[in-house]
Amino acid sequence: MHANDRGDPVRLAYTTISMTVIGFIVLPLVFIIWMSFFSNKILSFPPEGYTLEWYARAWDLADFRDGFFLSMRMSLISTAISLVLGLPASFALARGRFPGRDAINTILMSPLMVPGIVSGGALFVFFLEIEFLTDVIIAGSSLGLIIAYSLIGLPWMVRLVTTSLIGVNPSIEEAARSLGAGPLTVFFRITLPVIKPGLIAGSLFAFVNAFIDLEKSLFLVGPDHTTLQIALLNYLEWTFDSTIGAVATVQIALVAALLIITDHYVKLSRAF
Amino acid sequence: MPEVILEKVAKHYGQVVAVEDMTMNIADGEFIALLGPSGCGKTTTLRMLGGFVNATRGRIIVGGKDVTDLPPNRRNMGFVFQNYALFPHMTVAQNVAFGLKMRSVGKAETADRVRKALDRVRLSQYADRLPQQMSGGQQQRVALARALVIEPDVLLLDEPLSNLDAALRQEMKIEIRQLQQSLGLTTIFVTHDQDEAMSTSDRMVLMSNGKIEQVGPPDEVYNFPRSAFAAGFLGIPNLLPGALGNTDHASYHLDSGQVIRLAGQDPVPGASFLALRPDAISISSQAPSKNDNMLAGRVEIMTYHGAAVDYQVRLDTGAMLTARAVAPGLGGAPVLHQGTPVWLHWPPSAGVIVSKH
Amino acid sequence: MTVADMTINSAPRVAARKTRQRSRLPWLMSPALIFVIACLLFPLAMMLRYSLNHYDPAELMVSALTAENYLKFFSDSFYQEVLWRTVGISVLSTVICLVAGVPVAYFLARYTSALYKRVLLLLILVPLLIGNVVRTSAWMLILNDTGVLAAFLGLFGYTGRLNLMYTSTGVVIGLVSVLLPFMVITLNSVFEAIDHNLEDAASSLGAGHLTIMRQVVLPLALPGILAGSVLCLILAMNAYATPVLIGGPTFNMMAPIVYQQIAKAMNWPFGAALAFVLMAATLVMTIGVSAVVQNKYRKWSE
Repeated sequence: MHANDRGDPVRLAYTTISMTVIGFIVLPLVFIIWMSFFSNKILSFPPEGYTLEWYARAWDLADFRDGFFLSMRMSLISTAISLVLGLPASFALARGRFPGRDAINTILMSPLMVPGIVSGGALFVFFLEIEFLTDVIIAGSSLGLIIAYSLIGLPWMVRLVTTSLIGVNPSIEEAARSLGAGPLTVFFRITLPVIKPGLIAGSLFAFVNAFIDLEKSLFLVGPDHTTLQIALLNYLEWTFDSTIGAVATVQIALVAALLIITDHYVKLSRAF
Repeated sequence: MPEVILEKVAKHYGQVVAVEDMTMNIADGEFIALLGPSGCGKTTTLRMLGGFVNATRGRIIVGGKDVTDLPPNRRNMGFVFQNYALFPHMTVAQNVAFGLKMRSVGKAETADRVRKALDRVRLSQYADRLPQQMSGGQQQRVALARALVIEPDVLLLDEPLSNLDAALRQEMKIEIRQLQQSLGLTTIFVTHDQDEAMSTSDRMVLMSNGKIEQVGPPDEVYNFPRSAFAAGFLGIPNLLPGALGNTDHASYHLDSGQVIRLAGQDPVPGASFLALRPDAISISSQAPSKNDNMLAGRVEIMTYHGAAVDYQVRLDTGAMLTARAVAPGLGGAPVLHQGTPVWLHWPPSAGVIVSKH
Repeated sequence: MTVADMTINSAPRVAARKTRQRSRLPWLMSPALIFVIACLLFPLAMMLRYSLNHYDPAELMVSALTAENYLKFFSDSFYQEVLWRTVGISVLSTVICLVAGVPVAYFLARYTSALYKRVLLLLILVPLLIGNVVRTSAWMLILNDTGVLAAFLGLFGYTGRLNLMYTSTGVVIGLVSVLLPFMVITLNSVFEAIDHNLEDAASSLGAGHLTIMRQVVLPLALPGILAGSVLCLILAMNAYATPVLIGGPTFNMMAPIVYQQIAKAMNWPFGAALAFVLMAATLVMTIGVSAVVQNKYRKWSE
């Protein structure tokens, strides 16, 4: 922090503007949480009273309940796949010196660069063509979602783990070798613990970005097989009541908890 | 009329006292060095002068005007930063012109003054270069030119030489001093290097823990430090604890028992040390003449310093003293090896009594 | 055995180990690479090829090599309008994000202590991980005629209709709220990287704060400003949730119509063409913005 305390009116201006803008970002979420407890039948302000019925209602609606669990399952599985695919790739990228390394890095990052709606559409068409050819249903099934979500998680995992790996002082592995450790021991007892921030941050971002995905899921959900975000979207087409608020609040609480817990153990700023 | 006056200036960060009771009068055209170890408050004082830090207490008066509450951009002071702070996206000429642009000086006059400023630091041919393309020494001269071209009331330099190698440091030291004298500019120079402070300043201000320890011309501070801290900081490793004799001020009783004869020292009351410069102590394996003060010991470590040889001698009393002798190659006595029993001796006029700190 | 013998003999072993290491690398990367190529790049290439096919209401897609889908897009004023609306809203949202984001990012970089900054950054980051559906539905609460904003204005006696839902204005507001965190986080790292001393130096030479921003900070932050703007532009062009939820079913932007054509109308050739027009338009804008900004940068340093 700069030992400079001049410019009080300037500082005041910046503080005011910043608080307003940050409020603009955060307040909508505050409102939706608050309004999830309103007893107003039509979602409106000010509150007529408070109730928990919307939460009960959200739980009763199959789309939301099943959607929540489906989203959780799909996101967890795809995060695991991102880890299995991404960890070795990160090693190769961080440690290797070979021609085409930049090109390969770009390819692995490409899912982030292609718009969700375009890659979602491409996957949809691709899966349906496979279905026409082989009668194997992918679009509308768990497999389709898992593939799409793994595409989302992989670049996040690779980027964050590679950053972590690059930050590892290679001398500590050499020191372990000089003290008698074999390559697997070095990996599990020296390298892995040191890149823990990257692994945790990568998993967190892979999981959450899969959970909140909209554009790819749009194409890949099916009857009785819908994700939470799509369920919300469909519900909003016809009704606008605080059931939305209840679902939103639960999702916000889940993500906030994940972030805070992760940040407590692994300073997220260090992973970037 | 003194150009810069600091009146009981203090800076507190919560409970932490960075600077306390800073009072000084700096004359017009005087070159002052603020000297001290890191954390002593010298940089904080300089930044308060520059306006980058608000003083908690006290007043700062420049040329008769109270500037304590003025922001930095209204103080008309030239500030040279430790890492030069040259604008990387502007050429050398644009960097130097910046202050003139802020003062709405016309294009023609700006070009003229920038050219003269760059000539003065001998960088005219680099006017269109970017800072990143210049060496450290060159960047420093650009920073200097930029601060001087605006014809400031005061020049403030924050450890400007610490990022330069030894040879450049010597060169720039002289150059800064020459520039300052030719322009008659009141200058305040912060450094932790006593050699820099002594070789450039008209007066030195030795600081410690946010307070002024001693102020005076370099030779006075160097030869007559008043405290153990000052002695230590100015390169006197030999401090023997003791007390002045009760009846006269011609003898000093060391805690280890010996009595040392004094001649002409300024007595300092209270607990004190006898401070002896290594180069004031003669070392010999033969017993010295009776007129000198003497202490016996054995050579423990001998280090060679080119023109001189330093001996760390373990006295019979247990204390360690450093004596400096001329190298044998330059006419000095042959080297005395480890373990040799020796006599350390010095005339009564050498040595200073300094207060304990 | 001499030293020379030993050195010569060990060289092949070292070389062998190095090649073993190097030959391990392809194996490490191939699963991930194969996955991305098979499940993203190949389907995209397929889509590109399909954009040249012919759509038939009966058979759906007929293999062909025709440019009719692209021609249909460029000749039909309806689709032209959709594209320009998307571009206009994206540019406007990005500009607003820039104007609002710079002060916040600067504030975070210069005026906040480490703890305060961590809290504020978390506050800005959390919405990014909440998902666009939830964030946009929260704006529906605020913008609709019985919502928070209406109630707030009602306190001052305003009882008329708000007319923000289902309009461009509403969509821009929603988009800005969604995009701001991206801009702030990108800009923040850039401002952190700029040496504080440069601003002090400018101040000591007589520059007031606005001058310091204009002459020193912003020119040096230009790469970050560019990165943030490009990011926001791309996200805005491809936005789905905000146009659909706040704009409504009659408010057409590019991403929703790509979805409609591919998944609802099952007109894959045309839908594919739309998808690639969207990507191309985004790319052209990205290159254009980069060029303009770099040009301005050259002017600034004169």
